[in-house]
Amino acid sequence: MSGTQQAKGGLPQEKLTTIQVAVIISNFMLGSGILSLPRVSAEKVGTPDAWISVLLGGLVAIVAGVIMALLSQAYPGQTFYEYSRKIVGSWLGHLLGPVMILYFAATAAFQVRSLFEVSGFILLEGTPQWAITSVFLWVGLYLMLGGLGAIARLFELILPLTIFIYLLVTLMGFTIFDLDNLRPLLGQGIWPVLKGVQTTSLAFTGFEVIILLTAYMKNPNKNIKAVTAGIAIPLVIYIVTVFMVIGALSVDGTLTKNWPTLDMARSFELSGLIFERFEFLLLIIWIMQIFSSFTTAFYFSALGISQLYKRKMKTCLYGLLPFVYIFVAVPRKLDDVFTLGDWIGKVALYLFGVIPIVLLIVTKWRSSKHANQT
Amino acid sequence: MRIRHKAKRSLLIAICALALPLQTGCWSKDEIEDQSIYVGMGLDPASETKLEKTFRKEGDDYRKRKLLTYTLQIINVQSESQHGGGQAPVSEKPYFNISETGDSMFQLIREFSARMERPVIGHHLKVIVINEKLSRKYSMNELLDFFLRDNEIRPSCLVLISKGSARGTMVAKDNSIIPSFRLTGLVDNRYRSLKILEPMTLSKLEGKIYGKQSYLLQNVISAEGEVKFSGGAVIKGKTQKLQGLLTEEETIGCVWLTGKGQGGLVKSYHEDNHQPIVYEVKSMKSKIDAKVAGDEISFHVSIKSKGRLTEEWLNNNEPIDPAFKKQAEAGSQKEVRRLTNLALKKLQKQYGTDVLGFGKQLSIQHPRKWEKIKDRWEEMFPEIPITVSIDMEITEYGAKITR
Repeated sequence: MSGTQQAKGGLPQEKLTTIQVAVIISNFMLGSGILSLPRVSAEKVGTPDAWISVLLGGLVAIVAGVIMALLSQAYPGQTFYEYSRKIVGSWLGHLLGPVMILYFAATAAFQVRSLFEVSGFILLEGTPQWAITSVFLWVGLYLMLGGLGAIARLFELILPLTIFIYLLVTLMGFTIFDLDNLRPLLGQGIWPVLKGVQTTSLAFTGFEVIILLTAYMKNPNKNIKAVTAGIAIPLVIYIVTVFMVIGALSVDGTLTKNWPTLDMARSFELSGLIFERFEFLLLIIWIMQIFSSFTTAFYFSALGISQLYKRKMKTCLYGLLPFVYIFVAVPRKLDDVFTLGDWIGKVALYLFGVIPIVLLIVTKWRSSKHANQT
Repeated sequence: MRIRHKAKRSLLIAICALALPLQTGCWSKDEIEDQSIYVGMGLDPASETKLEKTFRKEGDDYRKRKLLTYTLQIINVQSESQHGGGQAPVSEKPYFNISETGDSMFQLIREFSARMERPVIGHHLKVIVINEKLSRKYSMNELLDFFLRDNEIRPSCLVLISKGSARGTMVAKDNSIIPSFRLTGLVDNRYRSLKILEPMTLSKLEGKIYGKQSYLLQNVISAEGEVKFSGGAVIKGKTQKLQGLLTEEETIGCVWLTGKGQGGLVKSYHEDNHQPIVYEVKSMKSKIDAKVAGDEISFHVSIKSKGRLTEEWLNNNEPIDPAFKKQAEAGSQKEVRRLTNLALKKLQKQYGTDVLGFGKQLSIQHPRKWEKIKDRWEEMFPEIPITVSIDMEITEYGAKITR
């Protein structure tokens, strides 16, 4: 690639294409949440209309994503870590930056922990946490040392595979699908659906990386396109998931399961094909998605440290590793893991739902003032 | 500089060497030959086997209430491999059953670890048969909790009720039959008989248990190592206990009302000379219309079916005329009406449980009304008027000529 250059810290830096940015966003969003999303959304909505709530949540996410994209366009070549201080001043900037670094670090840890919980329950019963975690962390580090370009190229391989296999497995659920489980449509009106939107829109967290990725884009002006496409792919996958899982297991059946999506795949067997059971396919791509979410979050946490405290990127990547490793072990039981997930969601809501709007308004106001003066 | 390079290199080599133990393959592998795979399970009221009694005399005792006896059907690996290899008749059964009496299912399963060298694993559990008496006493959530929680057992596992002993359904006369596979295989014959209900798997059950809905389970009877799917078992929503059984005819009536049958037959007798006429079901559909007029709720079920005249003992090998067709259709419709009436009467008047999804249809068609009455639905159900219209059409007459 023409843009390849060795930056400070030795990581190769390439400019990303619009498609690559969209792919990174999609991969980052698709992560641990997909296995529990049908339950989480059905809990809040309480009716079979949870999938509509997911649709609305996705639209909210697209709006928020576009706001962030606009904000980033105003500061070409800079990441949020760098330009946020210019908008709010160094004092608030010193608060905002570290919170975001922590947010990404916690997200990375949360993804790895979810991986451990699910694989420990269903795949690798008896494999200790340190073994799963450390292998995962090291392989992730290896990828991240290749820089954003390497990450993007790997993700470009993972995403089509994910979409294909995931849709294949979920659509096989049609063998146990019963449309009556999804009816009545809007039986209790639109209100329950709206109640769920806050929760479902949190399922789309991940698109916020656009405020960091824009700085590395070949065509930063196309970042709105990238973020919209990046959200649209998970949106379709999420709707299909919630639709199929509730259609197969019913609302009541979904509510009782920790990972309803996985249980849906475990609820049917198709004979006559090479395989009879398909949950392992689902788990394989799910683990790939966890891996991509983890590396993205980890990379941007390290990037924040590097840019805020002027350290080499490589040092930050290595230095962050033990902290994330410890963070992974912090939740003591499964409930704590879900609570951690809720907390990350809440932080995301303020960090990326509210603050960007304020910053965008401040930016526009300042530039108009600036324009008036000259 | 070179020294640093060397140090770096040896560090890398050391890390690689340390990483090697992680590459040795599966961490907690279990060889399949060393496992006992159980494929079926029967739950009966407590009745200790002879072996257990002897064991107890020898000192096998721990704190437990004797609530149930369960039978685990384990694939006999040795005999299976013989079966695959040689042409000679199999002398050994391809399975064996073992029983334990106690209360906690999990404890009972783990008891086998003290009895057999190969630990039992549940990844391939296909069917759970629950004795009728047991399910009258204990609710489905009590009996099935372990299965729904366990990480080995798949939610696709089938659940059946047995009128007699559940252990009896786990026995086969023939050495080539694995009784659990026979039970799950019977479900695949739904396209041939209306006596076989839609299979109820753990995953479907879980939603119904949590939602406190009523439902039907397939009943299976057994004698002398043979089994038959015969009738249904009605589980009451609120208690999740067995309310009562349905006869085979009532069960067929239920299948007609839900329209979920895939194939089967209707046998009626000719009005004049009482000879059988058999209508083979090619398709069936049913539509439940919920009607709400003020406080009055009523249902209309319209059943539509197309079929083939497969057997009749009347005509002297002459072509069938339109009048006979009308008569045969009318006779079949009358028979279906008899069956649906039987089913509705039993379900409404005797059991007072809505297992056919009338409530669900009401909730779909009149969600607001449903919200108001859903808590007392089953008390109202016996008094709800339900009308049925049946439309059956003979579209084929087999290989014989018609006029």
